[in-house]
Amino acid sequence: MKQIQLPQGMQDLFPEDCREKERLRSVFLDVFRRYGYRQIETPLIEYYATYQNAYEELEETKMYKLTSSEGKVMTLRGDMTLPIARLCVTKFNTTKPPYRFAYCGDVYQINESFAGKRNAVTDCGIELVGMDESGDLEVLCCALDALEVSGCEGYILEIGTSAVFLMACREAGIDEDTGKELAELIDRKSIPDIEKMVKGLGLSAKQERFFQKLALMSGIDVFTRTEELCFSESLLQEIRKLERLKIMLEELGYGEHIRFDLGKAAQLDYYTGIIFQAYVNGAGTAVLSGGRYDDLLNKLGRPLPAIGFSIKLDYLLDAVKTEKKEIRKLFYKKDDLVSAIRMAKEMQKDGPVELVPEEGGE
Amino acid sequence: MLSIALTKGRLEKATVKLLKECGYGTEALENKGRSLVFQDSVKDIRYFLAKAADCITYVEHGVADAAVTGKDTLIENPGEYYELLDLKIGECRFILGGLPGRNPLARNGLVRIASKYPEVARKYFRNKGMDVEIIRIEGSVELAPLLGLCDGIIDIMETGTTLKENGLVVFDTVEDISARLIVNKASFRLKQDEIMALLEDMKGMVEKRCSEE
Repeated sequence: MKQIQLPQGMQDLFPEDCREKERLRSVFLDVFRRYGYRQIETPLIEYYATYQNAYEELEETKMYKLTSSEGKVMTLRGDMTLPIARLCVTKFNTTKPPYRFAYCGDVYQINESFAGKRNAVTDCGIELVGMDESGDLEVLCCALDALEVSGCEGYILEIGTSAVFLMACREAGIDEDTGKELAELIDRKSIPDIEKMVKGLGLSAKQERFFQKLALMSGIDVFTRTEELCFSESLLQEIRKLERLKIMLEELGYGEHIRFDLGKAAQLDYYTGIIFQAYVNGAGTAVLSGGRYDDLLNKLGRPLPAIGFSIKLDYLLDAVKTEKKEIRKLFYKKDDLVSAIRMAKEMQKDGPVELVPEEGGE
Repeated sequence: MLSIALTKGRLEKATVKLLKECGYGTEALENKGRSLVFQDSVKDIRYFLAKAADCITYVEHGVADAAVTGKDTLIENPGEYYELLDLKIGECRFILGGLPGRNPLARNGLVRIASKYPEVARKYFRNKGMDVEIIRIEGSVELAPLLGLCDGIIDIMETGTTLKENGLVVFDTVEDISARLIVNKASFRLKQDEIMALLEDMKGMVEKRCSEE
């Protein structure tokens, strides 16, 4: 049998979706440009070793691999953050940070078969490299502005921080491996398993309660409940930092669209500060995700703090309604193609025109 | 409005009973006929019945905001969802069983295990540091050691009757199992009030039942 099907997890994009995706791409890049981010492109293929160096917990089976002519292992890029980090370390090392980059490109990841997930998605986003926490607010505003112009109804940007969990573990004397295991449970909000695990850690009653409640410390009123739950002053200080962010975002008029979740503990070997995700009606997974990753560039050889986010255009497409637009047809006689095209060019000024030969036309 | 997927079969009755005790309008679910979707008569909730693993798929894709499904299926299908509550219904356990006097744990070298739950079996033996060959069996797993296909089985046990009737014994408990409330990650944010209300109702009832025991 001839092999003419698409590989697992790949898909063709039809005209209506293409048009909508192009619109999203252009409105997002426009928002990013207004914030001073300059668009760049990087190749689809990177050395696999670059990914290995950068991400400790890289899931090998999720990366597409190929070999170069010299026999080196290469990979289809799994994200846009690492290529841009690589760029900042190798190419921009003579200019002074911060660097503001915007991008829009396809990223690849092998997902489980038959789970209905895409293996190739287009990421559109920004990276702010070389700026500490003082850059957080700007990046959040940029994300919120992008969501606003996307035309999605009822979007929510949820903000958390890995710092609270990491500090709580340190202060409660939880070792790194146990912390990782607990982080995974908390991030999955696996409440029954968290309760079971925390009971076996030998913590004080107050510490136990904190870890058990952390996964559900989310919503609008989250900061009113933190004081009674925190088991140390420094922990409370860390949470107050997030609360200050909330107050500033509210001052800027974003209050309606933001939520907070202190139980965010994803990818702790990667995220070092705030973590955020956006959800919209009609999409079952986050359509935007981002956070602060101050250690990544250091692993590549240049210690610079950084923060960024990406919007998954293909997931967003599921949520925005795409209307089919009719294209006007111009019928012409076959022997009169030149004047038909002349007329079509005139009509193009008011929108697209499709040339159609008249049936049996002379 | 919330959409909730319920696991049909073993868990169905107990789940409906729990919802009813919470004051939810489950009449449609109790007299279900041939329909597949059921409207709650009190709350703005729509239920549908599905196989356990499909409940997870529906939740992961967000077409169901929440689901009630067994921990056994959750262990076998880890994925993108939140597991918010142990409902303490459908309680049973994963066990390691086999023929009397032939404990797989006492064997040296490779053991062969038949199971409907290869992930659970793999994890269990990995933690024990033992080499294992897992043979996937779809039903009546008790048959496999009797026919000499394997050294033992990992399976769900409720009462232990089937095991006993086939002359098999339990060597170890792998994990306790019960039904869980799982929730889609996006719904958890976008329908937070409704989800939290459902969680509080169910949690209250589970705790009340526990204290009455």
